Amino acid sequence: MLNWLERETGLVSAWQRFWAQPLPATVGWGHIFGALSLLCLAILFVTGGAMMFYYSPTPDQAYPSVQYMERFLPFGKFLRALHYWAARLIVPLIIIHLVRAFLWGAYKKPRQMIWVTGVLLLLCVIGFGLTGYALPWDQKAYWGTAVRLKIAEGIPLIGHAIANFLKGGEQIGAVTLMRFYVLHVFVLPILTFLVTAWHIRQVHHLGVAPAWVRVGDENAVPKTQRLHPDHTFRIAIGAIIFTALLLWLAARYPAPLEPRANPLDTAYKPHPDFYVLWLHELLKLFPPDWEFVGSFVLPTVLVILLLAVPFLDRSPERHPLQRLPAITTGLTVLFAIIVLNIKGMEALPKPENLSPLERRGQELFVQLRCYSCHGINGGGGPVGPDLGLGGKRDPKKVEALLRNPGAFNAHTVMPAYNLPPDDMKALVAYIVSLGPQSRMPPIPPVEPEKPPSHFEDNWLIIHKFEVRKDPQSCQSCHKPFFCQACHGQRRPSSHLRPDWLKFHFGNAADELRTCDTCHTPDYCADCHRLTRHDTTWLRQHGATLTKFGETKRFGATTLHQLCYQCHTRQSCDECHQGALPENHKVPDFLQRHGELAKSGDKTMATANRQANAQTCATCHTQAFCTNCHMGAKPKSHEQPNFVGQGKSGHALEALRKGVQSCATCHEQKFCANCHGMPMPHPQGFVRTHIQEARRNLPLCQRCHSWGEQNCRQCHAKRPPSHTADFRETHPQRLSDGGASCQVCHGRNACADCHRLPMPHPDNFLHAHGELAKGQQGNERRRVQNLHRQLCAHCHTIAYCRKCHLLGNP
Amino acid sequence: MATTEWTRRRWLDWVVKAAAFLVTALIGLPTMAFVVLPAFRRSRPQWLKVGRLDEFRPNEPTAITLTFQRRDGWVIRTVRRTVYVVVKPDGSVKVLSNICTHANCAVRWEHQKRAFFCPCHDGYFDLNGKVISGPPPRPLDELPHRLQGGFLFVRV
Repeated sequence: MLNWLERETGLVSAWQRFWAQPLPATVGWGHIFGALSLLCLAILFVTGGAMMFYYSPTPDQAYPSVQYMERFLPFGKFLRALHYWAARLIVPLIIIHLVRAFLWGAYKKPRQMIWVTGVLLLLCVIGFGLTGYALPWDQKAYWGTAVRLKIAEGIPLIGHAIANFLKGGEQIGAVTLMRFYVLHVFVLPILTFLVTAWHIRQVHHLGVAPAWVRVGDENAVPKTQRLHPDHTFRIAIGAIIFTALLLWLAARYPAPLEPRANPLDTAYKPHPDFYVLWLHELLKLFPPDWEFVGSFVLPTVLVILLLAVPFLDRSPERHPLQRLPAITTGLTVLFAIIVLNIKGMEALPKPENLSPLERRGQELFVQLRCYSCHGINGGGGPVGPDLGLGGKRDPKKVEALLRNPGAFNAHTVMPAYNLPPDDMKALVAYIVSLGPQSRMPPIPPVEPEKPPSHFEDNWLIIHKFEVRKDPQSCQSCHKPFFCQACHGQRRPSSHLRPDWLKFHFGNAADELRTCDTCHTPDYCADCHRLTRHDTTWLRQHGATLTKFGETKRFGATTLHQLCYQCHTRQSCDECHQGALPENHKVPDFLQRHGELAKSGDKTMATANRQANAQTCATCHTQAFCTNCHMGAKPKSHEQPNFVGQGKSGHALEALRKGVQSCATCHEQKFCANCHGMPMPHPQGFVRTHIQEARRNLPLCQRCHSWGEQNCRQCHAKRPPSHTADFRETHPQRLSDGGASCQVCHGRNACADCHRLPMPHPDNFLHAHGELAKGQQGNERRRVQNLHRQLCAHCHTIAYCRKCHLLGNP
Repeated sequence: MATTEWTRRRWLDWVVKAAAFLVTALIGLPTMAFVVLPAFRRSRPQWLKVGRLDEFRPNEPTAITLTFQRRDGWVIRTVRRTVYVVVKPDGSVKVLSNICTHANCAVRWEHQKRAFFCPCHDGYFDLNGKVISGPPPRPLDELPHRLQGGFLFVRV
């Protein structure tokens, strides 16, 4: 097998050659850090790849998936801690490797590219750190990313472009998280792999530089070692120590996971990680306008300088004492970074020094679960005020508040704590000691483990519904007075209304079980004894309700409505359990129920003849219909004149709510059923409407009334066809029988001038004589009058003579 | 001289290989467990309270819709499931699934026909869930139940 592989590819001998590589005698323990960085990179790759099996890079699910990993999966917490610690250790490892190479002068000709690729790898690792930071999507991830993007924005000219590219939009959100994820698991790993391969290949190709020998004298150093097993032995020992350290760190200090990212939480203060503290301190040295010098210019210059080291320091000397300028510069920069970092650590919030009394108070703070409502400079529940804020407190006031919170705020949900004097003193001392320097004490996990439902995000909001569903399931873990830890003596907010007593039956009718959460069922009977239903009532209530449900009235309320004051419509089901009334048993009931509901049921007993939709409402709610009738008529459709002439209800409704609201049920062509064209008129319709109007005028007339109101609004100007001689020539233009005139002028417009319907109707020839009958005088006079008043508009008297021999009528 | 050199080399070689194996195992095994084991984990059965036993009328199957939460990785979803509780006159209890064994449609109790009816392909089951007619290949599935303090619990 191996022979075959060797024959085909030569990989085996390449592998053997690699490990048998001779090394100079001076290669020693200082040279193992490159290999350790590689091991660290491999561990990061493996643990990161494993976490990819479970991680979901969306803001909704990122945090829950990380939580799931930690809580429910074997070694979940451990692997995340391993990744976390390996990510933190790889930076110092690479830096030690870098400093070693710098001091040894290993970058000197011809090994410049080894140095350059090494610096590139350091940049890759920093990129991993920056992108990986955002992935758990906890508070630290979100706000840390916000700060970093803000810093990126501060870069002159291209800052906004860079920040926007990383954000993928205007805000930090789903797209940002995806981008960071892809950079972290796809782009950077490929880059890192390529650069690492190049780096190792370069070392293998050029050999390891012997320590402190002038360039050109390397061959004088005897190569007494081989990579394996002489140097790999050192690496193996280093790897075991490093792995042990890593495993210990991961097991002892799990990776932190803060509360889920909350973009609305303005109180959160992100603290920089220890290895970027020097950058943070650097920023403080510059005035705000020059901040980009600290955040961008100096780090960039530093990186460029690092990359350029082999090209700046070109003397052949390797021994540190022979190249003092380079060594001093390098060490000064390193020293400055270390000093700045130490200074930055001083600025971090320090661990508090608590007196024994305060320490006892801190224990009580945890024991009493104060943290579930109050945070201390972040953390804790969002219900109460953050105790780290707000300055020094008055011990007497704190104690009074603990004993009776209601005295300070009538609506408070904080329970009263009547602790023994010693404990009270301790707790008060602890609360008074809290300030901006204080940190949240570590919260032990709640034992026994919470049921899964409690991990829902909305648990605090919805738990009341769960309590109502089944109080006993809560009581299987919690004592009944557990509720009072938060709710205290507080009545529900609904009960605080001054008119509560008057309206409480409405709430009870909505959901009687709400009341049952606190009150026993016979609680109502304390006041409502008379409404109690005895057995006789139970026997008769069906008949009574069907007979008198709608007719018998108590004041303004019917008997049915009276029932609904306490019962819901579903209450019937509690006993009847879906038993069907007689009329539902008719075989074709389902086909006929529509008409039954509308008109009354002929098959039912005489007393029920008048039954109508109200009968259905005895058992069914309106919503019941929509179970099948998805498009049951909406309320708006019931108004009078919903469909009709002119601006009818549906047109107004469509104008008011937009056609989209119609489109919920109706397709677009539904309008065309009546309107013959898409409604409302499409854009540009005003240009073509004249053709439409000529084509089918009655269609327009369905909605638009005649000329005066509608057309004249726009057509006040004469159309081009109405030339100066229009009055004389318009009869000849009436080629379409006057329909086009009617578009603007209306049906009776001709009569305004002609006082006759124009053009003359078909039977006019026979009937025009009748017109003269309305005139005064003798027959001749009447015809003359008629002609003068009406006909002379168009016709001369000679026109009459075509038929009539006038002068002798 | 040659032999000592040889033993030293072999010893070093052995140490390097052992260290490589150790480091790989320490990191690799937890990682494998993390990726592989959860796939074979079975969820804890959930016992849900259906109701008081004396609330169910004998020989009259009652449909009960149970709402419960199911964990799907890091997503917790609320699911609903309907079961039919059949109480015999002798007091024995059966909890039947309402899923037809033929094509997974929901069956319902037809009061007049005294049978469970599946509307998809006209399957009928009797009070015990046995197939009367139609295509279903086997009786309705029965869910494990237990009685505790007068309450009926069912496992889903």
